[in-house]
Amino acid sequence: MLEIRNLTKIYDDGTKALKNVSFKVEDGEFLVIIGLSGSGKSTLLRCINRLIEPTEGEILWNGKDIAKADGRSLREVRRQIGMIFQHFNLVKRSSVITNVLSGRLGYVSPWSSILHHFPSEDRKRAYDALEMVGITDQAAKRADELSGGQQQRVGIARALMQDPSMILADEPVASLDPVLAHSILGYLEDINKQRDITIMCSLHYLDLVQQYSSRVIGLRDGNLVYEGSNADIRKMTDDEFKEIYGKEAVRVNAGSISGGADE
Amino acid sequence: MSNPYKVTKKPLLPPAVSAVLSLIVPGLGQLLSFRIRRGLFLLFSFVSIIGLFIWRLQVIAHREIGLQAKFVKSFSREPFFIVFICAAVIALWIWIIYDAYKTAGGKNEKGLGIFVLVLIMFFSLGWQISEINLGKMIREFPEAWPPLSRILWPWEAAVTRDTSSVTAEAAILVDDTANPPAIPEYIEGEPYIKSTPTFGKMSTLDEKNNMVLGDIIHLEGSGFEPDTLTEIYWEDSIGNEFRPRQDGEYVSLVTDGDGGFTFDLVIPYRLTPPSAVGQQIHRVQARQTSEVGPVKASEPLRLTIVLMLETIFMGMMATFFGIILAIPLSFLAARNLMSGSWVTVTIYYVIRTIFNITRSIEPMIWALIAVVWVGLGPFAGIIALTIHTIAALGKLYSESIESIDPGPIEAIQATGANRLQTIMFAVVPQMIPPFVSFTIYRWDINVRMSTVIGMVGGGGIGFLLVQYIRLLDYKSAGIAVWFIAITVAILDFVSSKIREKFV
Repeated sequence: MLEIRNLTKIYDDGTKALKNVSFKVEDGEFLVIIGLSGSGKSTLLRCINRLIEPTEGEILWNGKDIAKADGRSLREVRRQIGMIFQHFNLVKRSSVITNVLSGRLGYVSPWSSILHHFPSEDRKRAYDALEMVGITDQAAKRADELSGGQQQRVGIARALMQDPSMILADEPVASLDPVLAHSILGYLEDINKQRDITIMCSLHYLDLVQQYSSRVIGLRDGNLVYEGSNADIRKMTDDEFKEIYGKEAVRVNAGSISGGADE
Repeated sequence: MSNPYKVTKKPLLPPAVSAVLSLIVPGLGQLLSFRIRRGLFLLFSFVSIIGLFIWRLQVIAHREIGLQAKFVKSFSREPFFIVFICAAVIALWIWIIYDAYKTAGGKNEKGLGIFVLVLIMFFSLGWQISEINLGKMIREFPEAWPPLSRILWPWEAAVTRDTSSVTAEAAILVDDTANPPAIPEYIEGEPYIKSTPTFGKMSTLDEKNNMVLGDIIHLEGSGFEPDTLTEIYWEDSIGNEFRPRQDGEYVSLVTDGDGGFTFDLVIPYRLTPPSAVGQQIHRVQARQTSEVGPVKASEPLRLTIVLMLETIFMGMMATFFGIILAIPLSFLAARNLMSGSWVTVTIYYVIRTIFNITRSIEPMIWALIAVVWVGLGPFAGIIALTIHTIAALGKLYSESIESIDPGPIEAIQATGANRLQTIMFAVVPQMIPPFVSFTIYRWDINVRMSTVIGMVGGGGIGFLLVQYIRLLDYKSAGIAVWFIAITVAILDFVSSKIREKFV
């Protein structure tokens, strides 16, 4: 279980990205974070695995404070938390299989991994992960030869290699078309339901939020402004919508939104 | 955004006053109409054109005293230049006055003509300052053609054959008649020369330094190669050889069909050293040289090949040392890695500054310094090229480090990888292509540079080339030039092909 308490992040230039944010994530949840660009979604996700150093607050992961972890203990926490990214963040010139295997770096011995030597069970695990996302035949290709949807599937396979208890997904479908978006979120849903891995995912499109989330939180200017179940989001009022997306935002239809000045 | 130079204020003075001000100080009228950039440009241009013109008058007529005398002398030497500049200065002056008048009249004068005139004036001054002389270039082409043609097609000098010489000699007693030497012994099948008589008076110089011809000796030879050019040599009593001349030409003859000849030789003039006492025995020789054996590479060709190899390896070694030192330094010169604290930022700026200064000094100049340090030879060249390579590659490497995608680094960190693993998995794969590409590019440049670095004593083929040119041996120089051109062209091709693969 993850519990965020009074999390605040102030960047060096004075930007307050997160302001005293507190919430809980139960094991097995598919938690979606919504909010405009710049509302603090990415900062929140990156504070959880300390890619960004939080300024204040506690991040309790099964009782231990991630915010205070350092060195080895931080790496041990990180390897339990997979992460996938909007721009996939694959090493473009490396092969697909190397990218997937790199998900194992938190487990293997540092010296042999530097020489790209991985135990044979890890190689088998990597092919299993690729099979799960259906791109085993692409294993030997260079990552940048793959299409966007395929690259994100490699990103998922890399996260799975960590044998994670939770996966953080930072706008995983924002650079993909709607069909691929459903495909990728489908994989995350499978992972969530079948493997009982907690998912924390930021999303822009409310139809996707309604379809995949089990619970939703909304951020605006670094403040937590909305918390609700999947059922709540389906009957979200215009006032609640404007609370998250601003007064000028217009609900185009039941699903997608168009932010006034921003989007 | 407002342009600070845009006309927002009204002209300070009426048009006529502005025009008069620009007559006194060109450009002042425009300045007072708040056309600051235009006014400053015209003022600066006018003053510098006048200044440069006076400087050229001093140079053209450097002996004359006083500006007027210089002007007159310059006019007689380069009338076209003087007339053109004077006419253009007057035209510019009038134009500036007219421009000031119109500008002060509130018109937003945008004419570009005045700038074109200024540009033409600077170009004609530049033509004169850099002593461009197309006429000379064409006139002197016929004289330049022989060496040039040798450089363009030097290949006759690339091959040679062994020579063998056939010599016979006879002793001559000079300025005496007592006990003349015997005629040489005749051996069947050997080349043979005999003189009758075997003594005689040498040619001498009278008080007015006119040649007084000496006695004539009759030479008879046999046993030489038939129908072959044969040269006559003279050896004095202390063993110094020279080729005597008769009627201004070196003495030579062609043997008959049986390999024999007869020839009447005037005993040449030779100053006998004061130490020579007693009987003065000189020798006369007949020599034939002929090319024998197979064609083989000439000395210049062999030297060129050897030094070309030296050059390529100089470039390679300099690149190698350059890489080794540039890689660690490039990390210290990468802004994204060094933005941590004020200490690292200071290191970043120091290294960057050193790189920029070092790079702005050409390898030729570094070679001059290195020659003082380690002496003439390829090592000095390697030092010079290495210093320049470190700076150039260091900058290119650090820029490629700055431009790596942070995404993969973030992703690998998120897996729980440690620092070293992150570098090996996320940073290194991104850096290999630019590193390989820049390194090969630099090797290419280094070989090019090492072909000329020898000119200042840094070893390699440049050293040879300069020597041949100084010896006026244009054919050998041509061979070196050809080899440089071919090597550089091949290298250029290969390096671009390799780089294509890595981009």
